[in-house]
Amino acid sequence: MSSGMWAEKYRPQNLDDMVNQTEIVSRLKNFVKDRNLPHLLFVGPAGVGKTTSILALAQDLYGPGYRSFILELNASDERGIDVIREKVKNFARTAAISSEVPFKILIMDEADSLTSAAQHALRRTMEIYTRTCRFCLIGNYSERIIEPIQSRCSVFRFSPLSEKDLKGRVRTIAKEEGVNLIPEGLDAIFDAAEGDLRKATNLLQAAAATQGGEVDDIAIYGVLGRVSPGKVREMINLGLKGEFLEAREVLRALLIDEGLAAEDIIRMIYSEVLRLGIPEKRKVQLSDAIGEVDYRLTQGARSEIQLSALLAKLALAGEEMC
Amino acid sequence: MSDDGRPWASRFRPSTLNEIAGNERAVGQLRGWLRSWEKGPPERRAAFLYGPPGVGKTCSVVALANDLGFDLFEVNASDYRTKKRLDELVGRASMQTMTITGKRRMILFDELEGVSGREDRGGISAIVSLIKGTRVPIVLVATATGEMWEDKFGPLVDLSLVIEYRPVPFSAILRRLREIADELGTQVEEEALEHLAHRSQGDLRSTINDLEAIARGAERVTMAEAEVLGERDRSDYTPDALMKMFSSKTLMDARRVISSSLISYDTLFDWIYENLPVVLDDSGDLAEGMDALALADIHQTRGRRSQEYRLLKYMFNDMTGGVALSRSRSEGAGLVKLVRRKVAELGFQPSSFTITERPEGLQIKPVRYLGDDWRPFNSALRGMGAQWVREGGYWNVPYFRPPQLIWRYRKTWHSRRRLRSVAERVAERCHVSTREAVAEVIPLLKVIFKEDASMAKQISGWLELDDKETKWLKS
Repeated sequence: MSSGMWAEKYRPQNLDDMVNQTEIVSRLKNFVKDRNLPHLLFVGPAGVGKTTSILALAQDLYGPGYRSFILELNASDERGIDVIREKVKNFARTAAISSEVPFKILIMDEADSLTSAAQHALRRTMEIYTRTCRFCLIGNYSERIIEPIQSRCSVFRFSPLSEKDLKGRVRTIAKEEGVNLIPEGLDAIFDAAEGDLRKATNLLQAAAATQGGEVDDIAIYGVLGRVSPGKVREMINLGLKGEFLEAREVLRALLIDEGLAAEDIIRMIYSEVLRLGIPEKRKVQLSDAIGEVDYRLTQGARSEIQLSALLAKLALAGEEMC
Repeated sequence: MSDDGRPWASRFRPSTLNEIAGNERAVGQLRGWLRSWEKGPPERRAAFLYGPPGVGKTCSVVALANDLGFDLFEVNASDYRTKKRLDELVGRASMQTMTITGKRRMILFDELEGVSGREDRGGISAIVSLIKGTRVPIVLVATATGEMWEDKFGPLVDLSLVIEYRPVPFSAILRRLREIADELGTQVEEEALEHLAHRSQGDLRSTINDLEAIARGAERVTMAEAEVLGERDRSDYTPDALMKMFSSKTLMDARRVISSSLISYDTLFDWIYENLPVVLDDSGDLAEGMDALALADIHQTRGRRSQEYRLLKYMFNDMTGGVALSRSRSEGAGLVKLVRRKVAELGFQPSSFTITERPEGLQIKPVRYLGDDWRPFNSALRGMGAQWVREGGYWNVPYFRPPQLIWRYRKTWHSRRRLRSVAERVAERCHVSTREAVAEVIPLLKVIFKEDASMAKQISGWLELDDKETKWLKS
């Protein structure tokens, strides 16, 4: 099997291949055995096997031709609920041809990013097509999914991967790919991945690309410095040093050149600020300021202006701490 | 050339390329593109020229048409209100490559900025379909600055070779004024010419008008006469308006910038945002000023969302008074500090340059011959909007630089397009959203593509990327 990205190459293909989330997996296996399943709601942090589970279930259920029985949508990429409804309609309208399984599966990733109005519309769609189509909704937080949908789904809560599981998996991939990953490197990957196996695997692959020999913590930090969170850290440090103009340049590069969503930048700023070596009270103050910007962005304010104002606050905080 | 009673701005309007002052690069680009039509229609069938007023955009099109032997078919704003009208007028012209007299044809859309608001959407899309089908070069000219560039002209820009015109440099304006004075046989004091050139702020056309105002019929013009022009009550060129705004002590004074400046308040907002960190060089002032600007942004968003335009006045107050009055501890030496830092960063002694504050900007003069060091220093200063003034042997850094947004969007246009298409491939193959692909996966792909050619090849095959996308990931 040849695959460009290791995260895909080593994505478990069948439920039997899955080593984590054992309880969930055994319940999913029962669905396969029964040749039937309810609507599903998978919630849990990123990179712990939600998408993998449903894809594996589909392969077990439909066999090699499973692709024609599923439709993957990502709520954050679809332009409004009407587009989604149209796609669902077209997909669900044609009845499944499989003799044994009389329904198809619609996978809706990031379903928790839909507004509650959109979710209500989705709920009606789910009901209309329930005979020929099962929905698997995936999200990070179940609180963001409206009650009526939750009550129509079997809810599966995916737990974060343990350190042992995540490290074990990364070590296996490194071995298969002939990468000499030393423990310091693995620790660094674990710290950066925040429990996200996909992130960890991608990071390993990028570090392996930069390194002829062994992958150590320095290699990992080298890669991290070159990707978005690293640039966000650089921006924050420039801000704290009072070099506002340079910080703003980095911000522009992130927003325009690299096309990052403002929400992603603010999320990275937030997690970097919590890690800063500054007085705890400062962190609360800055968190407050970040929260204000975060809210303003949801209200349609211009992201560069609002984020720049935050950088100016960082510059002031940096000066006051001197 | 005889005095035929025409205004000088039109009498001395360049008719051939040699007479165009400044913007050599832009004119060269336009010329190259027009020449490329000799081998049949190029990929981009339109050129989009934009820049401030009076810098020679339309002039250079007319002059090039003359030089290259094109018949110029001009269309003005009032002509493209609706698709129907435009088709009647231009449709046929765009399909005929030759006129009856055997000249090649070219179409000029002037005053494109006049297409405004929704009722004209038909106009823009009509031009778009004309461009797609045209057999002759189409040149679009807009006196445009600011954000509208992306929104309004987006569809046109997509199809066009985009060419930016900049303010004509002080030295080029001075040279042109001297030529005109010589041609007229009028003696104009050097100081007076310099005064005019400085007032021009890069707008050559208005400067020739100024010259006419004091020199028509005169044999001699002195500095005193030039000074009479003083603060002519024309609208302020943006940097002047900003200068006044930032030094205002009252809200009302600061707010005056909204009505006195030539540009829309949106564009003005961008100017203020661009320059505020240089003017407010104290961290406390800066945080306060940025806060005011962020609040102005909020007021604007509210006004737009609720369609209650009376809310805009709160935006104006914050973006002008709020910003100007937050200046309390700043020394106003931000630009000097910035230049000093650049000097140090590039490894020069502070004494290698003299830095003088002049009305037109900061004058930076090397004390000794720079040799090979000139280039890196030049490009560092250019980033701050500086121009090298060859005659005086110094750089002039204007106190205010135009918003960098347009420039940035333009520079990254192709790159952002690749980003989008790669993100879609990654999203599909890796089962993530495009947003996540952009934030989490593509940055790592870039590292891989730069570092490991064989892994890159495998991945690009797996993602089914084309050569351009692969190259983009490597760059």
